[in-house]
Amino acid sequence: MPGYCYILVSLALFFIGTAGVLLRRNALFVLMSLELQLAAGSLALLTFSRGLGDEKGHVVAFFVMALAAAEAAVGLAIVVSVYRTRRKIDLDAINELRN
Amino acid sequence: MNLMASAPGLLEKVAFVVLAASALGGALLTITRKSAEGALIALVGTFCAVAGLYASLSAHFLAVLQVLVYAGAIMVLFIFAVMIVNREETQPIALRGLFLRAASVLATGYLFYRVAWIVVREKQTDVLASSAALPIPGFGTVASIGHLLFTDFLFPFESISILLLVAVVGGVLLSRPSRPGGDAI
Repeated sequence: MPGYCYILVSLALFFIGTAGVLLRRNALFVLMSLELQLAAGSLALLTFSRGLGDEKGHVVAFFVMALAAAEAAVGLAIVVSVYRTRRKIDLDAINELRN
Repeated sequence: MNLMASAPGLLEKVAFVVLAASALGGALLTITRKSAEGALIALVGTFCAVAGLYASLSAHFLAVLQVLVYAGAIMVLFIFAVMIVNREETQPIALRGLFLRAASVLATGYLFYRVAWIVVREKQTDVLASSAALPIPGFGTVASIGHLLFTDFLFPFESISILLLVAVVGGVLLSRPSRPGGDAI
C-alpha cells in the first residue's frame, strides 16, 4: 500500500485519541487515549521511515515505546495516589489547585 | 497462490483494510466505552492491529515489540490500575462545559480535515507514494535496528535505562500509602 494510506490511518488514530483526551472525564480513559496518540505517532514515523528507506525512524519509534511505558507507569501511579486521597478520579472534580 | 498470481496487490490491500478498520474501530470503542474493562479489551485489539500495520511496513522488530510492550506490559499496568480504581461512571462525558468541549472537538476535526487534505494533495511525492515492501535487504530486522542502537543512538539508548529507573522509583514512591500503616487499598 502507498505511504499516504498509512499516514491517513495514523492521522485518524491520533485525532480519535485527541477526542478521547478532550471529552472523557475519567483519568484512566485519558491515559488510554494518550497511548493511542503515541501509537499513531509511531505509525507515522515507521511510514516515513519506509518511504525514505532510512531505519532511524524505527529507532525513534523504539524510544517512543520506552517513553510510553515510563509515562504509563508514572501516570497510573499518580491516578492511584489521587484516588487514595480524594476517592475520585474525575478530572473535572480534581480542582484543588484552581483557587 | 492463484489469488496472489492473478492480483498481486490484492491480499496486501485486504490485509491493510482489515487492519486499519480494526485499529480505528478499536480506538473508537476505547474512547466511547462506559466500563474501563471493555475499553481496555478494545485498546488491546487496537494495539494488535497497529502491530499488524507495523509488520506490513516491514518493521518486524517494532511489530513484535508493540505486542510485547503495549499489548503486554502496559496493558497489565492498566488492568492493575482498573482493579484498584474501579468507579462506574454515571456520566462518562461531561455535560458541564459541553459547549467548550464540542467546540474543541470541532476544531480538532477541522485540523484533521486540513492535514488529511495536505496528505492527499501530496500523495504523488516519492516518500508518500512509495509502496516497496522491502526497500533494503534486512530492513527493519533485529540485526539492523540493533546495529543502529549500539552505534549512532548509543547515548539515547543508555539514557532510556535511566529514564526507566526513574519511572520505576517514581511509580513506587507515588503509589505507596503516604502514612506508614495508612489505609492500604
